[in-house]
Amino acid sequence: MIWAIGGGKGGTGKSFITSSMGTYLAQKGRKTILLDADLGGANLHTFFGLTRPRYSLTDFFDKKVALQDISVQSGIANLDLITGSIGSLDSESINHGQKQKLFRHIRALDADHIIIDLGAGTHINTLDTFLLADRMIVVTAPEVTALENMYHFIKSAYFRKLKFIFKAYDLTTSIQETWKNRATYDIHNLKDLIIHLKQSSDRVRDIFDREMSGFVVHIVLNQVRTPRDILVGENLKSVCMNFLGLPVVYAGYARFDEAVLKNINSKEPFMLSNRLSPVATEIKALAENIIAGTHISVRKDVANGSLS
Amino acid sequence: MEAFLKYFDLLELSQEAGIEDVRKNYDYLKNLYSGDSIEIAALNTDFSPELRQEYLARLDDAHEKLTQLLENKKPAVAQNTVRMDDELCDWIANIACFSGAALKSIRERMVVDLKDMFTTTRIQLQYLEDIENEVFESFRAEVYLRSYLVEYTRFLSLDTPRVLADYLPRYRAWAASRTTPAGMPHL
Ligand SMILES: Nc1ncnc2c1ncn2[C@@H]1O[C@H](COP(=O)(O)OP(=O)(O)OP(=O)(O)O)[C@@H](O)[C@H]1O
Ligand SMILES: [Mg+2]
Repeated sequence: MIWAIGGGKGGTGKSFITSSMGTYLAQKGRKTILLDADLGGANLHTFFGLTRPRYSLTDFFDKKVALQDISVQSGIANLDLITGSIGSLDSESINHGQKQKLFRHIRALDADHIIIDLGAGTHINTLDTFLLADRMIVVTAPEVTALENMYHFIKSAYFRKLKFIFKAYDLTTSIQETWKNRATYDIHNLKDLIIHLKQSSDRVRDIFDREMSGFVVHIVLNQVRTPRDILVGENLKSVCMNFLGLPVVYAGYARFDEAVLKNINSKEPFMLSNRLSPVATEIKALAENIIAGTHISVRKDVANGSLS
Repeated sequence: MEAFLKYFDLLELSQEAGIEDVRKNYDYLKNLYSGDSIEIAALNTDFSPELRQEYLARLDDAHEKLTQLLENKKPAVAQNTVRMDDELCDWIANIACFSGAALKSIRERMVVDLKDMFTTTRIQLQYLEDIENEVFESFRAEVYLRSYLVEYTRFLSLDTPRVLADYLPRYRAWAASRTTPAGMPHL
């Protein structure tokens, strides 16, 4: 199963969550490969105390080494790492052919779970890699800019996916026409557009229902500090459905813990050196929810209590 | 029954939901979408003041219709509002201008606690206080203030249009005084 972790804003904890879930899955005995696709600021390896990985994606792109041959050991049984290329490549310099080749190689990797750390931003290559996954995950934090970036990210991903479908079914021009005349149809946003298109013909509706039914984004809320913060994820389910027209699953949260910061640059990843931390428990729970596609259950009155 | 499906939908409930679920989800959604929490604020243009107003109105409608359906009777008129004696009525009728201060003294003479008002209207205490103290900065746009005022006056059984006609110009005057001269962008 391929997992992709994006979310728009930098620093929300994508790499921390990727490394921690990977560690958890590997410890459960699942063969897991982590792929650092943050081509501008690759740093996933530092979460495992590795300073200069022997190979990186540069070898794949420039020296044409097969993807499975550039993975390095993480130091944990069952867990391998394909590291990003530090500073030498950015998304802009990867052409379409290279991207397709990378995707082919990712699909062919021999592992139970492949988790891709996407880095920040909504570059087309980032979105395409996100859409490649069986589990599309965003890591966000309970603060306005992180949520703005997340909304933007999932809308961009959805729009990108729509574009592929339009193209595949030769609908592009008719949709562009509709959008151009949106005022006449009282269309204000993506959600209105979709509703309009679905109503316009049975064929389009069938295509949407078939192709978009799998478009579900799993939300991970990181750096939670108060019980009210936990509810943000719960509220996002309603908000995304109502005002973006997109279904999301609230997979879980991880609280803010100084121990995460302290653990940076240590030889052992957080999940191993802090087994008893509540964050470790929360990571396990959210990983299981992602596998099963289930929501974390949050009592709506949680905001009245305190983080125990 | 068809029509009721969309009400259940709006309240994010299945058709089997009971009256208690209807009330709970209504309270939850009303509270979520009337407020200015980060998950709402971050929507920016995807949740314009017009959209908000329209959505909240549909929510109220769905809640009312489903409550009627599930109670299987006409709704009790103004259950939660306050009873007024004649003397109080006269006094209110003679108020020259429904300013924030006037609203506050009316409420106090009715011996109504803001907390009770919150319980019914789900408008956060802070906003209720800010209405009374005319802390206009708290309201991002007139539509928010307006919708809160409507709830406020309904709760006290006041003449809503009259209160709006007195109160909103005070807000507008304040808003006009702080906008930059024409052509100057806001910083
Ligand atoms: N739950 C947490 N509690 C405390 N600190 C955290 C938590 N999650 C992440 N951090 C810290 O926040 C910083 C950013 O985390 P991380 O590098 O995982 O973010 P990122 O989303 O991958 O950033 P980028 O977009 O730059 O790749 C790191 O110093 C990390 O240790
Ligand atoms: Mg990162």
